[in-house]
Amino acid sequence: MKLRNIEIIIGREYLTKVKKKSFLLVTFLVPVLFAALMVLPTLIMLGAKQKAQKVAVVDKSGIVMQRLKDDAQATYVDCSDMDPDSVKAKLGEMGLDILLSVSPLDTASRTLTAETFSAKPIGVEYRDALQDSLDAAVEDYRISMTGIDGLKDIISDMKSDVRLSTYTLDENGNAKISSSDVYMMLSLVLGVISYMFIAMFSGQVMSSVIEEKSSRVIEVLISSVKSTELMIGKIVGVALVALTQFVMWIVLTGFILGIVGGVVGFDKVKELTAQPEVSAAIQTGVPGVDAAGMTAADNASAAPGEMTAVVTTLASINWGEIILVFIVFFILGYLLYASMLAAIGSAVESADDSQQLSLSVTTPLLIGFFIAFYTFNAPDSGLSFWGSIIPFTSPIVMLARLPFGVPAWQILLSAVLLLLTFIVFAWLSAKIYKVGVLMFGKKSTYKDLWNWLRQK
Amino acid sequence: MGLIECKEITKTFGAKVALDHVSLDVPEGKIFGLLGPNGAGKTTTIRIINRITIPNSGTVLFQGRPITDDDVQKIGYMPEERGLYRKMQVGEQCMFLARLKGMSTNDARLALRDWFKRFGIESWWYKKVEELSKGMAQKVQFITTVVHRPRLMILDEPFSGFDPVNAELVRKEILRLKDEGATIILSTHNMESVEELCENIALIDKSRVVITGRTDEIRRKYGQNHLELVYTVHISGDAPDQVLSPVEGVFGIVSDTDNGGRHTAVLSVSKPKNEVLAAILSQGLDINSFRELMPRMNDIFIKLVTEGV
Repeated sequence: MKLRNIEIIIGREYLTKVKKKSFLLVTFLVPVLFAALMVLPTLIMLGAKQKAQKVAVVDKSGIVMQRLKDDAQATYVDCSDMDPDSVKAKLGEMGLDILLSVSPLDTASRTLTAETFSAKPIGVEYRDALQDSLDAAVEDYRISMTGIDGLKDIISDMKSDVRLSTYTLDENGNAKISSSDVYMMLSLVLGVISYMFIAMFSGQVMSSVIEEKSSRVIEVLISSVKSTELMIGKIVGVALVALTQFVMWIVLTGFILGIVGGVVGFDKVKELTAQPEVSAAIQTGVPGVDAAGMTAADNASAAPGEMTAVVTTLASINWGEIILVFIVFFILGYLLYASMLAAIGSAVESADDSQQLSLSVTTPLLIGFFIAFYTFNAPDSGLSFWGSIIPFTSPIVMLARLPFGVPAWQILLSAVLLLLTFIVFAWLSAKIYKVGVLMFGKKSTYKDLWNWLRQK
Repeated sequence: MGLIECKEITKTFGAKVALDHVSLDVPEGKIFGLLGPNGAGKTTTIRIINRITIPNSGTVLFQGRPITDDDVQKIGYMPEERGLYRKMQVGEQCMFLARLKGMSTNDARLALRDWFKRFGIESWWYKKVEELSKGMAQKVQFITTVVHRPRLMILDEPFSGFDPVNAELVRKEILRLKDEGATIILSTHNMESVEELCENIALIDKSRVVITGRTDEIRRKYGQNHLELVYTVHISGDAPDQVLSPVEGVFGIVSDTDNGGRHTAVLSVSKPKNEVLAAILSQGLDINSFRELMPRMNDIFIKLVTEGV
């Protein structure tokens, strides 16, 4: 094998892929999308403050109107003495946005019905608020009907408010508060990213092999280089493309978030981060400052313990280990699937023909993907354990298990098995590839591939 | 000693024997025709010389010693199934292929600029291959085959798919490269180009070499010692007006067709050409031409392939 040849192949593979418009688009667009996903909800919440709606209320029950208080969302006009239909007809004229028509109380079922009419659809948030007001009015009415004094206080006193805190124990038996949600999300994200990366980039190797066959440039190539050199060069070239894209994503996302943070006022974020609750809110993906303040306040009052747990969890996760294991398993998994798909690609002349053959190769990958979805429910179940050890699914399942903590021996065993499997399959793939690239004119079958394997 | 010598090469694919003890001797600085019907084993032979395929037994010698991977860089190969990366720029692609043949980036660029100028295609350097017409792409393909100044060029059906203008261009370049000392193996069905270009041939049929040697010797061997005489018979005037008559023991007449006074006679001869000519001259005919009738390569090819040796 000649290193120089492999270098030239890698160079071509890398440069043509990196110079492609689609590569540039994906590389620059994904961080923008990613940053947008993190920033937009905040901006939307800030921007979504609607002006107060003017609501005409025709209250035939007599219990609803008194509960409706003007606030930022809406102001109310009592039109109870009017006919709903006439109000409906003149809604625009009267300068009103919504008509709320409440039926008389049904004393038998002790409830009422209500309808709203408006030119524009009512926002979800306001609809929920309205629903709450109506429910509360009917509940109060029912409580008063029982005739029991102080019942309302008794009921509110009885409402329970238990909070379950989850702690993880480290080797020394120290308890640490943790959030299962964080582990879950992280597990899912790692599994999905690993699946996507492996499927996407090993697929690129296959299409690159097919391209050389269908354009007939292959025979010129293998009269200059060994088929194994060509295959290795391709797989490494695409791997470098993957790493380039990965690094670019991280750098660009950081860059964009930095700019957004700077514009919105990053200093304030830092100030607020001093308080644990606030920093928790920021950690959950709200970098905008005003928004951070707002949501922090909301969340803090709602469930302060939970936020602390999220922060502690995020802080306690061993990011270095996760990144290292991710890179090792992604690279090994990619190498395994890329070499198998290179062999498949060598057997066909067009992408259409490849589907049937490649399905058998990508099915285990898909199974790994599904196991990963199950893993966050039961990270140490038999399925997840074996899924993370067996080489074809391990690049995905192991990463999905990782946030929940995996013993080092399991990671090592899995990685070694994956490496050995890769070596065996790369060797088999190279044999198929060598024969396959020279086969033209006839659609290859599994039987052909088997015969090529046995050819000297 | 030939530049390339194949000695007793056998190659099997499963139960199928692709080459059966094939031996070839390709002389240096000559054009060598590798002939044979489809599926005879030509492409396999070429791939073995290129070390794309490894034979089961037998050896290939390059300049007298077993061929190595380094020698392959001295070969320029234009396969029958040819193509280029469609999405790549012409210049970039030529650079890539030239470097794979061992050229440095600088040498490759200089040599390529030279060739692009010779073919008048300098403006194509930054074009993508998919923007080129088929004929244009073929010129590029030819350049990538020869840019590294190969000692040996293997051209598999070099004229198939080329339009007449490009085919002529390639033919001229092949002759020019031969004059510069390159050895060329031409694998083709086109017998006219074989007659015109190849000094030596080998005919492969059903995995075996059926015949190999100098083209003129083979043609003579398969000729039937026929001569062709064209002469004119004048109906009036003082000029000769008789027809050719056979001379016992020197030549007989196989046929004599009269085409408005212009006769074409095929003679079967039993004496050397000069004696035959002397006998004809003594008959006082108005001779237009006299030549040895060689069988066409095409006829030999068909005869050998259909009837066996």
